[in-house]
Amino acid sequence: MKKVRGYLNSIIIWAITGVLVCLTGLLIFFFISYSKTLRETEQKESYDKYYAMISTDSKSSFWQSLYKSTFEAGKEKNAYVDMISENLSKEYSETELMEIAIASGVDGIIVEANESEEMTEAIHKAYEMGIPVVTLNTDNRKSERISFVGISNYELGSEYGKLVLSMATSKPFPDESIKVVVLVDANADDLGQNILFSAMQETIENASKVIVKPIEMSMFLVDESSNFSVEESVRNMFIENRNDLPDIVVCLNEIDTTSVYQTVVEYNNVGLVNILGYYDSEAIIKGIERNVIYATISIDANQMGEYCIDALSEYWEFGNTSQYFVADVSVINSSNVSTYREEEENEDKAP
Amino acid sequence: MKTKLRNLPLQVKMMGITLSVNLLVFMINIVLLFSINSMADKIDTVYRANLELNELSSSIKAVQDNMTEFLNTKTSDALEDYYKSAQEFEEKVEDLDSSVSEKALDRMQRSIKNMSYIYLNEVEQTIEAKRGRNVEKYRERYDEASKLYGYINTYIYSLNNEQFKENSENYRGLVTSFKRFETAGNLIMIVVIFANALLILKLTEQLIRPLRNLKGVADEVAKGNFQIASLPVEAEDEIGVVTKAFNKMVVSIQDYIEKMRKSAETERALKEKELKMEAHLKDAQLKYLQAQINPHFLFNTLNAGAQLAMMEGADRTYEYVQVMAEFFRYNVKKGEKTVTIGEELELVDNYIYILNVRFSGEIHYEKEIDSSLLNVPMPAMILQPIIENCVNHGIRDMMGEGKIKMSVYRLDDVACICIEDNGIGMDKETIEHLMNGTPISSSKKSSNGIGMDNVMARLKLFVGSEDVMSVESEGENKGSKFRIYLDIKETDDV
Repeated sequence: MKKVRGYLNSIIIWAITGVLVCLTGLLIFFFISYSKTLRETEQKESYDKYYAMISTDSKSSFWQSLYKSTFEAGKEKNAYVDMISENLSKEYSETELMEIAIASGVDGIIVEANESEEMTEAIHKAYEMGIPVVTLNTDNRKSERISFVGISNYELGSEYGKLVLSMATSKPFPDESIKVVVLVDANADDLGQNILFSAMQETIENASKVIVKPIEMSMFLVDESSNFSVEESVRNMFIENRNDLPDIVVCLNEIDTTSVYQTVVEYNNVGLVNILGYYDSEAIIKGIERNVIYATISIDANQMGEYCIDALSEYWEFGNTSQYFVADVSVINSSNVSTYREEEENEDKAP
Repeated sequence: MKTKLRNLPLQVKMMGITLSVNLLVFMINIVLLFSINSMADKIDTVYRANLELNELSSSIKAVQDNMTEFLNTKTSDALEDYYKSAQEFEEKVEDLDSSVSEKALDRMQRSIKNMSYIYLNEVEQTIEAKRGRNVEKYRERYDEASKLYGYINTYIYSLNNEQFKENSENYRGLVTSFKRFETAGNLIMIVVIFANALLILKLTEQLIRPLRNLKGVADEVAKGNFQIASLPVEAEDEIGVVTKAFNKMVVSIQDYIEKMRKSAETERALKEKELKMEAHLKDAQLKYLQAQINPHFLFNTLNAGAQLAMMEGADRTYEYVQVMAEFFRYNVKKGEKTVTIGEELELVDNYIYILNVRFSGEIHYEKEIDSSLLNVPMPAMILQPIIENCVNHGIRDMMGEGKIKMSVYRLDDVACICIEDNGIGMDKETIEHLMNGTPISSSKKSSNGIGMDNVMARLKLFVGSEDVMSVESEGENKGSKFRIYLDIKETDDV
């Protein structure tokens, strides 16, 4: 009996000692792993290439999603894509941002270009410094950019044309003729928009036999030179043409679309003014669901992002790359918006 | 190893326990402190980066200012200042990180670094152009440099902001984990303290257990139970030594007791033997006496003598021999039986007659008897030895006429037999001897075998009480008085 007790006692003692030692060990282990995680957060994953992305409206969801896809595509190629305006406390113009990017010694620049002289000059400067420039969405054809990644204006124009036609045939319009206004950037080079416009016209004319009413097409210049000017321009259009509102407004970028949508709702012109949008932001998709926006053109942002990285990687690998990368476009309207949403949700869930 | 540990002195063991427990607490403390320290360091580094950036900012400002100063004044002092500040700035820029990582901070640092090199180059060219008086060129360069200066400053400012933002977050995280760690540390300390207390309790219990066992066994021994198994010695420490000593002690006590018991036994045997010897001796003496005086033989002989005396017509001789024969017959017959007072008195009469014949009527014998008490039972051979005692010690040695008075009277429900003589009396010592029943050395020889001690003992046995006889003597030559008290109970056979 006594022996058993003694045995039990020593077992208890060993157990307690064991527990204490384990506790100490655990503490040390906990501490080590803790400091390791601290150090790990410090540790940097180094990238081979550093690309700068520059856009005037980098906050828009279109550009955000473009950035996101480019960033993801870059990561796969061990390149880091930075929207350099994001981290800066000061607002800079695109050319200034180009200068900063060049001075920062980036390995490539992805820029939402325009046809201005300054842009051409900035791209030239980059070219001189040996930095490849990819123009995204909008081009500067005179420059030494290595590639343009975007959509074909002709294709876009014909898509819009088809959409106008489908509306003209399906919807009743009160007036003699159907007035179509295309919002164009006042500052941009005419060519791209012209191609788009003429492609639209061509599509509509080719189908003139089907049309019941004549279609009048016109352009409206939107001042996109400074911040907040777009919204004002759009609003002005509605105020100025109060008595002669267009039947169909064609928007060629996300901000235009959102502004027109907002204005139409505010001025109670839903049903009177039909909107053809550009891009598939959440607000625009909602507009389609509420039948304020007739249809929108969705651009494959992932594809564009991949193209940008492809162009830069090919440049660094082979010294040159193809001049044009054309991304696919698709139409979203009330008939396929629900499936589009489902797909989107699935995509969100997938990662 | 284990036994070696066990054999360590108690002091060392206790020290070992406290030392190990304290060591454990100390170790945990060290770990806790170390962690807390490293966390504090971490918090410190959080703000060091901001400080460095501020220095960088003031450094580039110095470069720009000095360049402007030189462009304004073209003094050699300004140039020197410019070179110094440019050198300093370059060194600082050198330290900047140039890797491209997930962290915006690193990338911005890289941008700042690259821009700074271009800026410094631009500034250099501006200075060169100024010194070469190329006005157009230095103005152009100056504008370029200033622009870059603006960019860099924006970058530094933004970086500072970003860093501060991140650091604040880091700091918050650190503080949270710090707090958590503190709580965990406190908890662990509490657990350790309790566990340590338990450990000490258990360890000391193990140490003290042999002592407890020892105490239990000692209690048993104190109660007188020596039949216990010897305690196991668990270790060669002080307790072990004490346990060993105790075991030895118990064994030696047992041995000692055994020895004592044996010696007592031998002593008892010896005494028994001695007693037996004495008994044998007495027996032998008795046998010898019996052999000497065969009462039957004596009685028959005396009877024959009486008949002869009668035939010869000697009446007095006949009577004397007759009485003698009676006397002896009583001895033979009643030696060990209960008799009555009457029978005892008759024997006394005979005895006095014989004595008076022997000593030619020297003894005056008086009787005062309550005849109703004659049938009271009493042991035989009581009165005759008292009379003999009176005669031998009281009367024989006195001058003049010896008197003996025998009276039997009733005292309530007790029969009292009183024997008085007027002899030399007795001193107190003798009386005491008589009362205690111890034999008086001188009386042995002269009595016919039955001493006063025997009388006393038999009387006490018969009555069943100590107050059976009293002896008085008023002093020398004033005689002595014996009183015997007997319960009055009629016997059937009388």
